[in-house]
Amino acid sequence: MHKPKMAFLMAAILAACGAARADDDGPKLKLSGYGTLGVAHSDNRGADYLVDSFKPNGPGATRAWNTDTDSRLGLQASAELSPRVSAVLQVISQQRFDGSYRPTIEWANVRYSPLPDLSLRAGRIVLPVFMVTDSRRVGYANPWVRPPVELYSMIPITTSDGIDASYRMTLSPTTADTLEVTAGRSDAKFPPSQGLGTGTAEVRDILAVSNSLESGFLTVRLNYGQARLTIPEYAVFEEAFRQFGPPGAAIAERYGVHGKFSKFVGAGASYDPGPWFAMAEWAQFDTHTVIGKKAAWYVSAGHRWNKFTPYATFAQLKGLSNTSDPGIPLAGLPPPVAAGAAQLNAVLNGQLGILPTQSTLSLGVRWDLFRSAALKLQYDRVALGSGSRGVFGNIQPGFEPGSTVHLISATFDFVY
Amino acid sequence: MTKRLLFQLLAAFVASVSLAAGAEDVVAVVSAKSPITSLNSEQVADIFLGKTTRFPDGSAAVPIDQNEDSPDRDRFYAQYTGKSPAQVKAHWSKLIFTGRGQPPRQVANAAEAKRVLAQDPHAIAYIDNRLVDSSVRVLSGQ
Repeated sequence: MHKPKMAFLMAAILAACGAARADDDGPKLKLSGYGTLGVAHSDNRGADYLVDSFKPNGPGATRAWNTDTDSRLGLQASAELSPRVSAVLQVISQQRFDGSYRPTIEWANVRYSPLPDLSLRAGRIVLPVFMVTDSRRVGYANPWVRPPVELYSMIPITTSDGIDASYRMTLSPTTADTLEVTAGRSDAKFPPSQGLGTGTAEVRDILAVSNSLESGFLTVRLNYGQARLTIPEYAVFEEAFRQFGPPGAAIAERYGVHGKFSKFVGAGASYDPGPWFAMAEWAQFDTHTVIGKKAAWYVSAGHRWNKFTPYATFAQLKGLSNTSDPGIPLAGLPPPVAAGAAQLNAVLNGQLGILPTQSTLSLGVRWDLFRSAALKLQYDRVALGSGSRGVFGNIQPGFEPGSTVHLISATFDFVY
Repeated sequence: MTKRLLFQLLAAFVASVSLAAGAEDVVAVVSAKSPITSLNSEQVADIFLGKTTRFPDGSAAVPIDQNEDSPDRDRFYAQYTGKSPAQVKAHWSKLIFTGRGQPPRQVANAAEAKRVLAQDPHAIAYIDNRLVDSSVRVLSGQ
């Protein structure tokens, strides 16, 4: 969405909230919020553990103890203007790509329900790609310190500016199916920590379809998404490759990040009868670019004993595309040209090599201190795939790809 | 002396146990004027957890919660949804922070809940079953 449009939407929502406050019997205004205070420690000072590619740093190389990994504060105003129309504005402050905590707008949308089971939204809305995308920022709503990094780092973008429609079908007194279709666009700046250089991911023509079936304690969710991804900062490399005739052009075409469709499929299930819960999720993301193709899955289960919920999770992320490429053939090129080509080949292979493969065993416990606050402690054993640096970034000399890293995290999650 | 203390402790224990046993169930109720006559506990749970906004006959359902200090509230959610207070809170935080829903309107106590029922035939509430009278209808079929 263009900035003036966003500003207009915000003004409209704020005005609606103001109107809601003015009249107690009519529209209702609700203010709520959530937050997490977190600290994470890594035993490997050779690289930063990056929970997603928007994080400029993490526990490890920058600081062994890091408080920016999970900490955040969210504030939300929602207004019910009539039984059919409501608006929501959520502002979130968390560590951004530039290291600042400058607040950003997470949601700003207006919802209209022409029928009781049909809802249409316009504005900035959730990008529905995972089981817990809706609440991935709300630590209190989730059993873990953070959603499994292997899967949730695949798509770090959480919002889409556009429209969505969701329809709920009641199939039996205990079974309901919700179909949601989202269309929109998104822009996200990423830091250089992953080694891809800094840039902006311009995501256009997003189309996401998700279906969620709830039957008793069981929830099954299927997700499909596609979008055109462009990183303008990479255009210079594509241009450079195109200077080398057809072989260079072929490489630019194959790996370029210039509006090709990325495709995402995912499936997940959870079972939560109350005293315990179990969930599993799988997803595959193919960018058709230098960023590559990845698949990830996890299984997680926990048991609730009064205020304590110990849990265990096993997650795996696998790079499915090639991590190297011969590049432009150097044979027969005049020496100065060959040197340039070799440099470009090195850049290409440097980027392809980032494709992560890793698995994590997490053991943790959630302690529901009060009704609105929980304390969590989690241990992660991250095993990097052979030759892979996994999701780690800010790599220092001496860091060994394929090694095993141990992390300890603690969070205090609250809602109000 | 020790014996007496033991006896007192025992008496206190027996009293607390019988008090717990005497604490009657919480029941889901609608206005006596409501057309709704029966609803099973899963249907009641779906309404209070925001999974549906309607009664099985298609008419609007307006759940009325008691506030968090009310002992009825925790017993109701344990009985009807199997969820602890923290789980109910976590459930709503999932819905609230995506603008997908808001928890039910809250009233201070069972008497307030009955007052709302008397005014709104679409309302559904829960009260201690010792407070059931002719103004409300208990939803059987648990």
